[in-house]
Amino acid sequence: MAADAISLSIPHSEPFHGVARLVVGGLAARLDLSYEDLEDLQLALVSVLERDGYAAGPEVTVRLVVGEGTVGIAIGPLDTAELSADLEGQPEDGVPMRRLLETLVHKISLEERDGGHWLQLEKRVALAHGSTREEA
Amino acid sequence: MREAGPRTDRDLLRRYHDGGDLEARERLIEQYLPLVRSLARRYANRGEQLEDLVQVGCIGLIKAIDRFDVERGVELTTYATPNIIGEIKRHFRDKGWSVRVPRGLQELNVRLSQLLEQLTIQLERSPTIAELAKAAGVDEEEVLEALESGQAYTTVSLSAPSGHGDDADLDPLESLGTLEHEYEVSEDRAVLAPGLKALDERERRIIHLRFWEGLTQSQIAQQVGISQMHVSRLIRRSLEKVREEIATGRQV
Repeated sequence: MAADAISLSIPHSEPFHGVARLVVGGLAARLDLSYEDLEDLQLALVSVLERDGYAAGPEVTVRLVVGEGTVGIAIGPLDTAELSADLEGQPEDGVPMRRLLETLVHKISLEERDGGHWLQLEKRVALAHGSTREEA
Repeated sequence: MREAGPRTDRDLLRRYHDGGDLEARERLIEQYLPLVRSLARRYANRGEQLEDLVQVGCIGLIKAIDRFDVERGVELTTYATPNIIGEIKRHFRDKGWSVRVPRGLQELNVRLSQLLEQLTIQLERSPTIAELAKAAGVDEEEVLEALESGQAYTTVSLSAPSGHGDDADLDPLESLGTLEHEYEVSEDRAVLAPGLKALDERERRIIHLRFWEGLTQSQIAQQVGISQMHVSRLIRRSLEKVREEIATGRQV
């Protein structure tokens, strides 16, 4: 069965992060995710979006994919210079991105597609509702 | 157009204070609206609509008119100005909302915070949006909207950077408990990274529990004695502060 997917392209700037958060919220409500799972997904997403150094252009796309017991978030295209170093766990001040994401989601990977680099996050969740195909 | 001047003011103030003339009070309010508007405009770029600030400023004006001592040789303008500014500042500080959020959503957000605690205990797990919606008697979209509106809580006070250990700039209605101060800084050297210096003891503790100990928000809430939504806000605020600290450090 094909996974549900929602794609959202927004300007890569702070005032639009709330839009991305709301979309994750809408999906979480639809899937009957717990408040904590929703919070984790939103925080992971916004933490990546907020890093100016990760921006590859004026626009960013967030793609949410509902799998079997998982919710995936793909964010891209991103500039990987800083992101790769952070994901490799190189010493980083504050709360390292890798540590932050590993706390919030179960799988982190960097993929190359559509001519750009995408950060792929996946969180295992208890899906109360079956997935039905609907793309936005 | 009415002329506002000391004599007119004094006459109107006497009529109101001595004779209880409410029309005189109304006229004073009208006369000083331009002052309120001009003071409110100074604070309009902080995420609040000018008209809302004018309304708040009017409360300060009315208080000034009501409390004004006619016998004192002070002009109403002199007395009213700090009252109006004070009221506007109090509004920002007390409400803690950096952007305009409809009252209904603010109230729902506070109610959801309480329901979140209750349902987490009752269900022994984190509730879903649907469960929160049902308990609050609203639909799921309203819950999401209210949760999102919680993001509008300001992280910066009007006159100073976020306080250390100060609940006032978070959610006064939610500050249900205070942290014990027995927390000892973790031996994990990473927790002592320079960027984390921006955090106060409580924030550092919460960040440590969440990202180094792997505790969930509700577990932290329980351990620390504050609401889960408060933990959530503290985490977001702390991460923001750390990011700003690092950015500032890089610029220096």
